[in-house]
Amino acid sequence: MSEQFVHDPEYKVEVRNLTKNFGELKVLNDISFNIKKGEFICVVGPTGCGKTTFLNLLTRIIQPSAGDLYIDGEPADPTKHNLAFVFQEPSAIPWKTVEENLRFGLEIKKLPEDEIKSRVENIIRLLGLEEFRNSYPHQLSMSTAQRVIIGRGFAMSPDLLLMDEPYSQMDIKLRFYLEDEVIRLWKELGSTVVFITHNIEEATYLAERILILSNKPTTIKEEVHVDLPHPRDVTSPDFIKIRKYVTDQIKWW
Amino acid sequence: MDGKKVKLSLEHISQSYVLNNRAFDAVQDINFDVYDSEFLVLLGPGYCGKTVLLNIISGLEEPVDGTVRLDGEVVKGSDPRIGMVFQKTSLLPWKTVMENVEVGPKMAGVAKEERRKTAQKYIDLVGLQGFEKSYPTQLSGGMKQRVGIARAYTNSPEILLMDEPFGALDAQTRYSMEEEIQKIWQSEKRTIIFVTNNIEEAVYLGDRIVLLTNRPAHVKAIYDIDLPRPRDTVSPEFLRIRKEISDNTDLAL
Amino acid sequence: MSTKNTDIVLSASEQRERRKQILYKILPVVSILLLVALWIAASGGESSSFPSPMDVYDRFLRFMEKPIQKLSLWQHILASLKRVLIALLASWVLGISFGILIGWNKKANALLGPIFTAIRVVPPLAWIPLITIWFGTGEFPKILVVFLGAVMPVVVNTQAGMSNIDQQYLDVGRIFNANKRQMLLDFAIPSALDAIFAGVRTSASAAWMVVLAAEMLGGKSGVGFLITRGMDSGDLPLVLLSMICIGIIGAILAISMQLIERGVCPWTAKKSN
Repeated sequence: MSEQFVHDPEYKVEVRNLTKNFGELKVLNDISFNIKKGEFICVVGPTGCGKTTFLNLLTRIIQPSAGDLYIDGEPADPTKHNLAFVFQEPSAIPWKTVEENLRFGLEIKKLPEDEIKSRVENIIRLLGLEEFRNSYPHQLSMSTAQRVIIGRGFAMSPDLLLMDEPYSQMDIKLRFYLEDEVIRLWKELGSTVVFITHNIEEATYLAERILILSNKPTTIKEEVHVDLPHPRDVTSPDFIKIRKYVTDQIKWW
Repeated sequence: MDGKKVKLSLEHISQSYVLNNRAFDAVQDINFDVYDSEFLVLLGPGYCGKTVLLNIISGLEEPVDGTVRLDGEVVKGSDPRIGMVFQKTSLLPWKTVMENVEVGPKMAGVAKEERRKTAQKYIDLVGLQGFEKSYPTQLSGGMKQRVGIARAYTNSPEILLMDEPFGALDAQTRYSMEEEIQKIWQSEKRTIIFVTNNIEEAVYLGDRIVLLTNRPAHVKAIYDIDLPRPRDTVSPEFLRIRKEISDNTDLAL
Repeated sequence: MSTKNTDIVLSASEQRERRKQILYKILPVVSILLLVALWIAASGGESSSFPSPMDVYDRFLRFMEKPIQKLSLWQHILASLKRVLIALLASWVLGISFGILIGWNKKANALLGPIFTAIRVVPPLAWIPLITIWFGTGEFPKILVVFLGAVMPVVVNTQAGMSNIDQQYLDVGRIFNANKRQMLLDFAIPSALDAIFAGVRTSASAAWMVVLAAEMLGGKSGVGFLITRGMDSGDLPLVLLSMICIGIIGAILAISMQLIERGVCPWTAKKSN
C-alpha cells in the first residue's frame, strides 16, 4: 500500500501512485505527477498504451486499484471539484444553441446571472463566435462545434480541464489555428490543462511540460520540459530537437 | 517529367448536384494528367469534392461534363483496371479477411485455388499472415485498412485510388501506415492516386501533389516533390514544403 | 507477466465498485422472490379464486397422472410447438424470399407492395372466421393462421433491410465488377441479414402468441386449449399452470432464435481475447 499522502500547497493537482489492475492484468503501474495551478501539460504515449484507462481514472468512470488523484490536497470528487472535459468528438447538447451550450455548465453550478453573462460573453468574444450565437450544433462545422465545447470547458473556470485529442480529426492548417486559439484561451483565463494527444508535434507546440507514457503496464517514462516561448516556430532547431526526442521515446513503428 | 508516360488524364471534369432544389457545383473544370507508376496525391480541404473526383475516376459516378482517359481511351463505368481503397475501409463484415481480400478475382470467376494464392501473397505483403480467418470486427483500425489495401491489390489493378484511407487512424498508426504504403508501392509499382486533407501526409507520400481549392474544387497548384524516400518529416526542406503548401491552402473553420 | 497475489488486492474504492456490481446481480433474484411472496400472500385464504403456487404444483402433479383429452402436458406443449415450428419454417422461406423480391426489385415492389400492405394491416386473428369456413377446424387452418401472423414481420423487416443497404457495400461490389447475381448474393443479402434476423425474432414471438389464440378458439390439444379448458371447468390452477408453461416456452423460443442467429452470422460475435 502507498504511504500516507501529504499535500504540497505548491501544486493544484497531485497524482499519487495511481495503479489499475483488471483481474491479473496490470494496466497502469504507479503513476505519480504534479501539476501547478495554471500549468499546461501534454500527455503522449504509444498507440495501445493505457491511455483510455488513464483517462477513465482521471474522469472517475472507473476506480483506481491503488493511489489516487488529489485536487487542492483532497481526493478528486466530481461533485465537489470543478472538472471539465473535452473529448475527441464534439459533444455539444444538440437541442441547445451555442450560447445555451456555453451557459449550461455555469447554470448547473448556480452562478449568479451577471457572472454567467460576463463569462459567456468573454468566451464568445475570445473565440469569435458572435455569428453562431443562436445556431444549433448540427448547423456548425465539426471544428466550430469543437471550439464551442472547448469554450464551454474554459468558461467553467475548472480546477482541471482535461482534453482528449480534441483536434485529431483536423488537418494541419486548421490544427495550428486551433492550437493557437487554445493557447490564447489558456493564457487569458489561467486554467490548469491536461491535454492528451498522439501527435507529438502538437504536444511540443502546446505544452509547458510533456509527460511521456510507456507501453503497458503504463507508467510515466519521462517528463520533458518545453521552455520555448509561444507562439512556437515548428521549424526552429530547438523545436525539432524536442519533437524528435519525444518521438524516439515512444516510436513503435 | 517529360520522359514520363501519361497513364490517366482528366479533361474538363465538372460535377454538380441538386440539393433541396438548388444546384451546386462540386468540382469545376478539372484538368490534370497522371503519369505511369507515379504516386499522385490529391490534396484539398475537407468536403472540397476530392471524393467526388475519385468516384468519377472509378466510375461510381458519371460527371456532368468532361472525360477520363486511361491509356488514351475514354473510361466508361467501373473498369477492372482501376481499383479502390475506401475511406471507411468498407470491409464486408460477414466475410473473413481472406474472403474480403479475394473478392475481386472471385467476382471475375477466378478458380478458388488460384485466387487464394494471389490473395495470400498480398495478405503477407501487408503483414497480416495469421489473420486470414479473422472477421473485420476483430481487427484494429490500422489492420482493417491493411485488408482494404490487400483487397485492392489482389484484383491486380493498373491504377489504385485511395480515398483518405488513413483519415480515421490515430497519429502514430497513421505514420506507420504511411511508411507501409510507401514500401508496398515501391515493391509493387502501380499508379496511385491518393486523396487526403493532411498536408504532412501528402508531402511524405507524393511524387506530385495536386492542390485543390474549396468547393467548387478546381486545381489551384501542382507541386513536384523531389525529396528522397523514405522522407524525414522533420527535415528543414520537408517542413519548408509543408509550410509553403499550408500557406497556399484555404482555412476552412 | 509475473503477477504476485499482492497485486490483485482490491483498493477500498474498487471494493465499493465490486459490491455495487454484486448488488446488480442479486436484485433481479430478489424481485422474482418478491413476486412469488406476493403471489402467496395474495392467494392466502380463499384459494378457489386465486390459487397459490402450491395449488399450481399440485395441479401439475395431478396432470402427470391424469391426461386431459388423452394427452399429457408434454404432448399438449408439443402439439402447440409443432404448429408453431411448421408455420415458422414456411413463413421464413416464403417471407424472406418475398421480402427480398419486393425490397430489391423496384418493379416487383410497385406491383406487389400495395397488395402486401393492404393484407398486412389486418390482424391474423381476423382471418379465423374466413379460414374456418374455407378449411374447417383441422390442423391446417390453425397453422395457416399462425403462418399469417409470423410471415408479416419477416416480410416487413426483410424488405426494409434490402431497400436500406449501406451504400458503401454496394460500391465495393461495383468497384469489383460484381454481376447482378453476385451483387444480390454476395453483397446485398448478407448486409441485410441483421434486419432479416430482426424479422425472424419477431416472427417467433408473434407465432407463439397467435397459436395460443388460435387454440383457445377451437381444438382439442395445445396449451391454448388447456387455458380454455381450465376456464370452462373453473379449474384455475390449470389456467395458471398453462400460463407458466407459456412464459417458459416463449423465453426458450427467444433464446433459440438468438442461438440460430449466432450460428448463421458468426461475424457478429464480439471480439474475443
